[in-house]
Amino acid sequence: MSEHQNVLEIRDVAVHFGGRGGLLGKAGPVVKAVNGVDLDIARGETVALVGESGCGKSTLSNTIVGLQAPVSGSVRISGEEVVGADRKKLNDIRRKVQMIFQDPALSLDPRSTVGATIGEPLIVRGIAKGRALKERVATLLQQVGLRPEHADRYPHQFSGGQRQRVVIARALALEPDLLICDEPVSALDVSVRAQILNLLVALQKRTGVSYLFVSHDLGVVRHICDRVVVMYLGRFVEMADRDTFFANPKHPYTKALMSAVPEADPVVQRSKERLILGGELPSPANIPSGCAFHTRCPLATEICSKERPELTPRADGARVACHHA
Amino acid sequence: MDAATPLLSVDRLTIDIGGANVVDDVSFTVAPGKVMALVGESGCGKSLTSYAMLGLLPPAARRTAGRIMLENTDLAALSERQFRKARGKDISIIFQEPSASLDPLTTVGSQIAEAYRVHHGVSRTEAYEKARQMLVDVGIPDPTRRLDQYPFELSGGMCQRIMISIALICGPRVLVADEPTTALDVTIQAQILDLMKKLVAERGTAIVLITHDMGVVADIADEVAVMYAGRIAEIAPVHDLFRLPKHPYTALLLASVPKLDDAPKADLATIEGTVPTPNEFGVGCRFVDRCPLATDKCRAEQPPLFDCGAGHRSACWHIDRMAEIRGVAA
Repeated sequence: MSEHQNVLEIRDVAVHFGGRGGLLGKAGPVVKAVNGVDLDIARGETVALVGESGCGKSTLSNTIVGLQAPVSGSVRISGEEVVGADRKKLNDIRRKVQMIFQDPALSLDPRSTVGATIGEPLIVRGIAKGRALKERVATLLQQVGLRPEHADRYPHQFSGGQRQRVVIARALALEPDLLICDEPVSALDVSVRAQILNLLVALQKRTGVSYLFVSHDLGVVRHICDRVVVMYLGRFVEMADRDTFFANPKHPYTKALMSAVPEADPVVQRSKERLILGGELPSPANIPSGCAFHTRCPLATEICSKERPELTPRADGARVACHHA
Repeated sequence: MDAATPLLSVDRLTIDIGGANVVDDVSFTVAPGKVMALVGESGCGKSLTSYAMLGLLPPAARRTAGRIMLENTDLAALSERQFRKARGKDISIIFQEPSASLDPLTTVGSQIAEAYRVHHGVSRTEAYEKARQMLVDVGIPDPTRRLDQYPFELSGGMCQRIMISIALICGPRVLVADEPTTALDVTIQAQILDLMKKLVAERGTAIVLITHDMGVVADIADEVAVMYAGRIAEIAPVHDLFRLPKHPYTALLLASVPKLDDAPKADLATIEGTVPTPNEFGVGCRFVDRCPLATDKCRAEQPPLFDCGAGHRSACWHIDRMAEIRGVAA
């Protein structure tokens, strides 16, 4: 691992799709999935990226691992620039950042034993083979709470929670600095969810890996994260430390999200202040003028449709993009 | 109406797949205007129970005992022909993935109107007017334009409103909602849950809600049945269930959800092991291998649903030892 303080540094990243002439030469609308975001993640830190479908959080994740090229901006993993890196360089950088997805059944090859799956990155990079490989795979399986003899089994022989453990073991094989977890527990049953969250916390304590935790479940976010970033239509609208964020949410969209997530306690849930947003998320191909949230915002005034608010720091350290918050 | 006159009562329902009772002796009742939540993890039998109410059991599954009474009719005994008359009119269902439930080649207006025409034999124009009215009721703006659109032109939240329109247009007395908000974003989920609450209040529809999300249960349910491996583990009014669970499974399930006052990154309670598959069901309590309170008695003998008073029942031999489980108040 390098000594660089921040495992991730993103500067002014924008990712757009379409716009050029298609097959029939007709230019489609430009979809502005990510629209100028800055983000740092420190070593050993967990940052949550919160937002609804279509807000750009998956596009941003893909950009960080180099699967999607941004139209502008810079992405540095442990100090090394991803954007514009040649294939060889990109290959080196990718070792430091790994990804796990929502549905473990879709992330594993049904025809490979889990041992082969976990060992593959080590073989590809020429790190281990033969006996050493077998030992390394056994250690990885134990780290994620499985047994070495599980290496010979196939994905279908495992439960959903166990499969997610296999996916985590594979992601850890190359000892990454940063693990991007895209809704890692939303496809799992409640009791299994707790096991995987406990595992992620324990692994971080042991290895110092950083997490970018993409999720819409604020209960899980509050449990596992150090810092929270809220994304709406390709931009960050609020970022703050966990405690500040949950004690004093400021952006009206953040407040609406918090009010919308049902609390697993009927007394709390039925007495809490309700702020139900009207309407739906506008299309990222047609982002509203000014503040993109103004079409659904209960606080919106004239200025909101004309001028886009910047992320500005507040007294308690939170940064919020709103004219009225 | 009071809970003493249930609209729907499921009575000792047992469903068999390949020789195993995947739904075993399940009983509960729902009163008009009330929401009964069936909660449990994958494979606990909650969806099969609800499909049985609609006569939609998969071919491999067979009801071997029990009744499903909608007032004086036993739904489980209806022929397919009779069921066609009841489905949509007396009892309806909405599913998890609205875009998979709608016909992609037909306008939503025609899909909503079809449900009404089948049961009422009215003209197309009249049915369309009824459909338009229904869209207003479920909160879809610009309903006249929407009627002529296809499902792909609508968002997930809109599609679920269309599904609800189809399910409710004939004014059924019971609505079965199978994970109705699981595929939706949280702000849209909040809208749909509020819509369901409104419909229950206005129309007195009884809802059987299938979900695994304790937050959704806390928000909308009046009564909760927790299912485990095909059986009801515990059944109680919603506040009692959350405040003082009387089954170890419920208690652990609740404890495994991160809470407001938890320390960050603290260890969450977990349930060790996995749900038994139907061929692993023993003669005793099906939770025994994962239960911190398990004794020899639990292994040998299946606990009945004990009545704990005030509509609270639990199938556990050790209700008096619940305080030993983490997070449960004495």
